[in-house]
Amino acid sequence: MTIKSINGCIGCEECVKSCPCDVIRMDPDSKKAVIAFPADCQICHLCRMYCPVDAIEMSPEKSIPVITSWG
Amino acid sequence: MTASAEKSTMNRREFIALTAVATGELAAFGMSGWAQNKLELDPDSVTNTDYVTDVLVVGGGMAGLFAAVKAHDAGASTLIVSKGRLGSSGLTPFAKGFFTYDPAVESMSIDEFTNAISRSALGTNNPVYTRQLAEHSLARAKELREWGFFDQTLANRPFMVPIQERGIPLIERVVITHLIKENGKIAGAAGFRLDAEETITIVAKTIILCTGAGAFKPNGFPVCDLTHDGTVMAYQIGAKVTGKEWNDGHTTRSVNPAACYDNWGDMFNRIPSTNGVEVHHDLGVDLNYRAYVTGNPVSGGPGGGPVTEEVAGGPFVPEEFQRDFGPPSGGPPGEGDAPGGRPDRGGGPPPGEGGAPGGPPGGGMAGSTMGGASAGMAIHKAEGLVPVDDRCASNIPGLYAAGDALGSYMSGGIYTQIGSSLAGSAVQGAIAGEAAAEYAAQSKVPAIPDTRLKEIINDILAPLRREEGYGPAWVTQTLQGIMIPNFVLYIKRAAMLKAALAFVEELRDHHAPMLRAANMHELRLVFETRNMILSAEMKLRASLMRTESRCSHYRLDYPDLDEENWRAWINIFKGDDGSMQLEKQSFDSWPLQ
Amino acid sequence: MKLNAKSCTIIAALAVFIGLPLLIYALGDFPRRSVLKETISILTLLFFSLMLAQFFMARSNEPLLKLFKPKQIQNVHKVISYTAVGFILLHPFFIVLPRYFEGGVKPLDAFVTMITTFDSLGILLGIGAWVLLLLMTITAIFRIGLIKRLQVKYPVWRYFHGGLAVVFVILAVWHAIELGRHTDTAMSVYFITLPVIGVALLGRYYWRTIPHKTAKAPAIQGAKS
Repeated sequence: MTIKSINGCIGCEECVKSCPCDVIRMDPDSKKAVIAFPADCQICHLCRMYCPVDAIEMSPEKSIPVITSWG
Repeated sequence: MTASAEKSTMNRREFIALTAVATGELAAFGMSGWAQNKLELDPDSVTNTDYVTDVLVVGGGMAGLFAAVKAHDAGASTLIVSKGRLGSSGLTPFAKGFFTYDPAVESMSIDEFTNAISRSALGTNNPVYTRQLAEHSLARAKELREWGFFDQTLANRPFMVPIQERGIPLIERVVITHLIKENGKIAGAAGFRLDAEETITIVAKTIILCTGAGAFKPNGFPVCDLTHDGTVMAYQIGAKVTGKEWNDGHTTRSVNPAACYDNWGDMFNRIPSTNGVEVHHDLGVDLNYRAYVTGNPVSGGPGGGPVTEEVAGGPFVPEEFQRDFGPPSGGPPGEGDAPGGRPDRGGGPPPGEGGAPGGPPGGGMAGSTMGGASAGMAIHKAEGLVPVDDRCASNIPGLYAAGDALGSYMSGGIYTQIGSSLAGSAVQGAIAGEAAAEYAAQSKVPAIPDTRLKEIINDILAPLRREEGYGPAWVTQTLQGIMIPNFVLYIKRAAMLKAALAFVEELRDHHAPMLRAANMHELRLVFETRNMILSAEMKLRASLMRTESRCSHYRLDYPDLDEENWRAWINIFKGDDGSMQLEKQSFDSWPLQ
Repeated sequence: MKLNAKSCTIIAALAVFIGLPLLIYALGDFPRRSVLKETISILTLLFFSLMLAQFFMARSNEPLLKLFKPKQIQNVHKVISYTAVGFILLHPFFIVLPRYFEGGVKPLDAFVTMITTFDSLGILLGIGAWVLLLLMTITAIFRIGLIKRLQVKYPVWRYFHGGLAVVFVILAVWHAIELGRHTDTAMSVYFITLPVIGVALLGRYYWRTIPHKTAKAPAIQGAKS
């Protein structure tokens, strides 16, 4: 899973704004960030680095097989 | 039944089970192919907001920042729209080296520097833009320093400093899908918001595309939000496009190849810094050639050790720029901001590059090196709109481009000067901003007929209105499967390029028009997918046309330089019948207007 | 240590206020992070539970007063104040501290973003709790002078301090449940149960002392300082 978890979110939306690929959105009920479109994560960590409370944990793994240039 | 038959039956059953699991997972991630559109919003309730501006800057990276600031300072009302956040989208957030030519420090004159680039680029660079980079880079670095860019890892806050000081309006998370041309000139643009059920139309006297380059949403390079949006939108209204045959040669790791952050060492954590003259000829495609010839695992390839023997043939590096790469050392990744650091091509072969991240570190990381991390992207500043002058203007009056969206050939068809990618975007953004403001001062506010706007909005919302269709993520994956293998994109030959072209034409004609979107996120994916398909077609046609090998373009069937016929760039444009046309433009010349 | 009522009480206290939160932390399904971040997290959890222990290191805990001298209890209360409360007051800064050592948002920028996210209930609760805790700490340090200057009786001070503690703990626990990285169900139950008992003890004590102000002096008067 790309973004592993969001723990301790304060709902400031920094990660939503900072994600180049629109992976994270705000949950309208809890007003906290949720991983909405994990397949589009490019594992760049910008969300984690912009998060003021360091709430985001990352994983280097992609949950779907990826296409690469070599076999 | 024999044991082996039993085994194969079991394997088949296992295979079916696995496929079912995989399909379920893919469907859960919106990866399904043709399916019902489970709409999450009512397309008929989508509202529209309109804006008017002198200068519209599309894109919020390094080029967009300077374009907006300089257009504003030149007296034009300026609006920035960005698909992401200012300083946190495209390649800008990951570029840590900023080239500056400081006459007080450098031993090379600007003329000598420009000539060195031309020699490394085998003539593919446009010396006017190369020189411009050297002349303006120090001034841009000074401004960035004042805004705090060289004080922190993340660019958003420093970028916001001049924007807030000047009160330049900025709309983030807007996907621009259409450029609008009226009476042969730029009249505006249209798109939609990611966070609201809202389309946006903008009347603009002039537009500066700072939309970056693009790729095929590859794994291992943080370029998945760049899909050649600017280039393709401009192509659709008649702009000329260039540079599609070149290839950026960034590498990744065979273990977790998609993990950009992890595979770049501490690159993404670094604070940007400046560096001086350092001219190279860094290919990247040479590794793909090695993997192609010797198979996998190969030396330096997945599962392989350090490179020990030479492979005959392959891409050509001018003798002056050949580098003796030592054994893997786990040294600095790339070299963008670490002057003196060398990419270690033994265990990890980064075509070290300053603007965007260099290459993964050689040793110590999990897995071995693998090519094609940035698949679909050309050399920085080589692909994009064809400039008709030295001020970033395109062949469409009022349309400008800067940075990776402009095919300025600042570096040529090969990455030459470390750190020039970021610096070049700053320099060109500033020049385009001033030029656009000048143009705007002399033109009237364009009028766009309501019927035209209505037509465009309908076009934007069409994928939401489809009751069923192809999922954009699935079409993108299919495109990746056609374009990313190294025997298509990097090690080229006519038969393979033609085969790939047939697939891509199929996607263009029968999939792109039938893409579905259930929400604004998927709507973005639809337009990105369409843009990538057209860019793939451009890449294949340009690669077929260039019947030689030069810089980062390598043809197995034409392995040598052809100085007689190919001292020329390839321009691509939409013909009168809507088909893709290609033409040559000699090096050192401007297009015929 | 010989097993007697005293040592058993000490062991039980250590188990409840240090062992239990550590156990819940260890068994919880939380992402494990860098040594610095884990250390800060564990210390925050421990000091928070020790702060909850303050409700029990007080005159309201009558059984304890039968075992230990009031002075001893008061000393423990003081030591926890200076360490745990001090640490918890620094908690907002510890959240952004690791940013000094890694790439990413600058600690000060992170701090400003954090404490200005006013549409977050968790942040408002946290700010409220922090202000209350600071007020409690400052007034406790200067209580002698305050009591003299305001010419109030000592029990009034006690109600003030205990009252603030109750409001504080409600805000703080709510904040921890709303935002806490390590506040899963088990930790939430723990964080709610302890103060409920503590506040109940306090309530019982106040209930007994208020109506009988003029009656015979309570047995625990000795705890007064």
